[in-house]
Amino acid sequence: MKEVLQVQGLSAGYGPLTVLHRINLTVYSGERVGLIGLNGHGKSTLLRAIAGLTDWQSGSIQLKGREIGGTRSQSAGRNTHRIVRMGLSLMPQGDALFYGLTVVDHLNSGAFTRSTWRERAARRERVLEIFPPLRKLLAAPVGKLSGGERRMVSLGRGLMADASLYLIDEPSLGLAPSISKSLIAVLCQIDLKEGAMLIAEQNLSMLEGKVSRLLGIHAGVLKGGADALSAASLNGFASAAR
Amino acid sequence: MEAFRVSGASPAVGDGAIATNISAAADLTAADTRGAWARPRLRVRYPFTRRTPLLIRVAYDPRSLATRRTIVDKRPLYWVAGLILLAIVPLLGSNALLSSSTVFAMYAAINIVWILVVGTAGIWSLATLAIVGVGAYGSAYLSITYGLPWWGMIAIGPVFGLICGIIIAIPAIRLEGWYYALLTVGLAELCRVYAVQSQALGSSEGGLYGAATFIPNGVSQRTGLVISFFAAFVLMLAALALYRVVNGQRLGRLLRAAPEKQEAFAEALGVNYRAARIRVFLISSAALGLIGGFYATYFTGASPSLFSMDNMMLLLAMITIGGIGTTGGAVVGTLIVVLLDQVFVELGPLRLIIVAAIMLASVLFTRGGLFGVATQFSTWRSRRKSERRAQRSERGGEVMPDEATEIRDKQTIYVRRFDETVRKHLRPLVTDEVIAEHKRNPSGPHSDTLERLLNYFRRAAITDKYGILAVKSFAEYRVIALSGRRGVPPRVVDDKVYATPDEAQHAVFLRRVQDLMQS
Amino acid sequence: MQIDPYYVIVTAAMLASIYGLLAIGISIIWSSLGLINMAHGLIFALAGYGAWAAAQYLSAYGPVVLVAGIIAGALVGMLIGVLAFLPLYDKPNYVLRSLIATLAISLLGQQFMLTAFGPRSRPLPPVFGRASFHFGTAVVSAGQLGAIVTSWLVLALIAAWARHSRRGLEIRAMMRNPEGAALVGIGLRSTAMAVMAVTGGLAGLAAVLLSQTYFVSPFSGLTPLLKGMIVALAGGLGSIPGAIIAAVLVGLIEALTAVSIGGQFVLITQFLFIIIVLLIRPRGIAGIIETVRE
Repeated sequence: MKEVLQVQGLSAGYGPLTVLHRINLTVYSGERVGLIGLNGHGKSTLLRAIAGLTDWQSGSIQLKGREIGGTRSQSAGRNTHRIVRMGLSLMPQGDALFYGLTVVDHLNSGAFTRSTWRERAARRERVLEIFPPLRKLLAAPVGKLSGGERRMVSLGRGLMADASLYLIDEPSLGLAPSISKSLIAVLCQIDLKEGAMLIAEQNLSMLEGKVSRLLGIHAGVLKGGADALSAASLNGFASAAR
Repeated sequence: MEAFRVSGASPAVGDGAIATNISAAADLTAADTRGAWARPRLRVRYPFTRRTPLLIRVAYDPRSLATRRTIVDKRPLYWVAGLILLAIVPLLGSNALLSSSTVFAMYAAINIVWILVVGTAGIWSLATLAIVGVGAYGSAYLSITYGLPWWGMIAIGPVFGLICGIIIAIPAIRLEGWYYALLTVGLAELCRVYAVQSQALGSSEGGLYGAATFIPNGVSQRTGLVISFFAAFVLMLAALALYRVVNGQRLGRLLRAAPEKQEAFAEALGVNYRAARIRVFLISSAALGLIGGFYATYFTGASPSLFSMDNMMLLLAMITIGGIGTTGGAVVGTLIVVLLDQVFVELGPLRLIIVAAIMLASVLFTRGGLFGVATQFSTWRSRRKSERRAQRSERGGEVMPDEATEIRDKQTIYVRRFDETVRKHLRPLVTDEVIAEHKRNPSGPHSDTLERLLNYFRRAAITDKYGILAVKSFAEYRVIALSGRRGVPPRVVDDKVYATPDEAQHAVFLRRVQDLMQS
Repeated sequence: MQIDPYYVIVTAAMLASIYGLLAIGISIIWSSLGLINMAHGLIFALAGYGAWAAAQYLSAYGPVVLVAGIIAGALVGMLIGVLAFLPLYDKPNYVLRSLIATLAISLLGQQFMLTAFGPRSRPLPPVFGRASFHFGTAVVSAGQLGAIVTSWLVLALIAAWARHSRRGLEIRAMMRNPEGAALVGIGLRSTAMAVMAVTGGLAGLAAVLLSQTYFVSPFSGLTPLLKGMIVALAGGLGSIPGAIIAAVLVGLIEALTAVSIGGQFVLITQFLFIIIVLLIRPRGIAGIIETVRE
């Protein structure tokens, strides 16, 4: 198994606040990793730090063997587009949509890198197969969509890219349970090829049994390490934290 | 005093808190001794406030136990010295210097009032000079047509300023931030075009001239210049006082509670920041109108150049170079630009280029103009330092870039660094032989290498320190970790049970070695 | 006084096309870079000199002058981007500092032009020939007609380019959400320079077109900047359709004011218009026509 993502000693935070404390994490190709943690314990910050969006960070992050981390204390997001072009796709919390643009514009923008732009029509077809409800809404501006449809647009935009690592931040946030269940089921069926997927989620039952392994994150520290935690112990951890 | 005692007496956890409490206690004792034994000292306060001109902290020197008085904030001293200097130096110079100084004082007054609009009220109005111009034109017109005396002109200026302010303030109610800045640029241009083209405002002579002047008839030129300089100087002092009153009192505090992007929050707390803003704006508009009246009596008229974009740019350069938001910055920036503008007259248009270049450089490289350079440099230095520190110890026991600024007690940083060095030296000492030796003979005597390791382990912090729990004496021992907090029981580390104390001790040793190698 | 409707229509169309070119530039720069470009007038003036220099030293052939103006405008726009956007965009207090920086740049550039070219105005050679046409009772010069046709053509081209090309999508995405744009791999800096080049080119085009009736001078940038700002504000910063509607309205107001009550009241009526629009709709005309908001 090849490592797609190797995080070593990653600390990150916002301003004077340290959110992540020396995180070590390795994700191998073909894996779907679930990241379980409560609100405010650093799930999103971990994903954002990998994309270089936190205020400051230190520690090594390697994407397919290339260093994208290092120590910095300013210029958040300055390198994000380069990291994205190296094969990262982050589907953030709150969707980061372009309000006023249509659904088809969003999907096209997901295939922004030069090689994928040429085959955007084929990629769009693939995404539309995953999210059939979007097919009827292609010409609609995203501001008119419902919450679930917006989440589909955001996920679809992320899936348009030719990424080797998909970071998905809380796919179930703010959605009705049935919708979020089906969304996650869809995400867990996508063919990853050589890539990997990291799904951050609050709700353990959403991911249980669907991903290759589960990691807990609590107060900015990963619990679970390299070997998979048993679902039972994670349950206990989650309820204890609650 | 009661409140002091309570806070001084309650023990607090955390290094920083203890340090501040000690100094508070020292203040308390100093005050007590003064009250009981020392001669009562005169306390100067500003009228109607509880503020003293100088904030003096009294503290004991921990070594010599002598009382030390330190001035906490030296800025009032700098202000007084600077203002005295500004009042005296022009008197020693030539007539040209005197008239330049008059211009300087007038511009400084305008800028201080403008700082009130921009900094305190947070309204980005670029029509400041236009309001001055309206005041000047209005009073000059009244003086020329109806023979208004000079004091009447200064008195009527605020009325024009206020009217102009009300008109300009109407869009400010609805428009946010930058839209408004654009609008005011246009309004100033509108005034200029009107002044240039209107017959009544002297479009043919290029301005409105012949207004009354405050310099009495028959005095020499020099005396006239001195009078006008001091008049302008008093104007500047009045502007400073106005700033102090508006910014330091209720209005300023209300507005400081509602900074940009947190207005909704302030509103939820019941701060009516909109009304406060408009009020500050109107007050400063009236003040600008007064300055306009003064301008008209000083120059005995007004010219359309008051409204021109170039003049506005000069004014903006002044506050930008000094640092937007501080009166000191406004005065120093004005001084620099007026010096450049008046002293290097022979350079012609080149001096405008110099001013623009300085302005561009100061806005590109500094966050808060000249007055912010010191703080900007220190934050930059501390950032670089902590970044380097983090790089030196990419995986060590040291501190993170931003953690470093949080830790107020520098000793913590040095202790961590020392600890990291020690561990670096100890790690190579761990060999299979040493572990075997400890397994053979856990309670000593030990070889030198093992003794070093054990000494390091022994002085580890109490939090998470390993210990041995005798579940059943001479039969059942387990490894535990201390919580480090009183009342919180230690936790059992794993479910292994050891038959003898020696075995348990070796298990603890192995755990510590493992922790050492992993850190 | 008799108002000639044909004359008003021609003048309004001419002004609207010029203002539209400038206002769209200002509007796009604000919404994609968050930069209030007070140096847009400088681009205008310098592009005029670029076109003049090309006509003087290269060739007075119409398209050459036109292209020279556009290229000069694009270059100046990029220079402003390098000076005022790249060093500042991720620094604290960005909007204010970049605003002051562009003001300083425009002052610098104006003084530079004054020393380099002198205060004298320079005429540009006619780009579209000297013919004139009759439109109703009004006489339309080739310069005016060419200006109107060219600017609307270019605007249509720009709109199509923004809608269908990869760069266009990039700019539109960045206008809406810079962080989202970074997340799909759009580089802020390169896109910003593209935006500055395109908007600078538009301003350069406007400079050449307006110079068919006026002259090129160091201070020729201020009025177009102001008018462009008025239109962009009235249209709602960030909205291209809003800017176009506002350009037509402002041009009409200017033409009507000039023929009915006199040229010196033009700015006053325009400001009254913009204040009324903004008091009713703080987001400008875009607030009326756009149905989807953030």
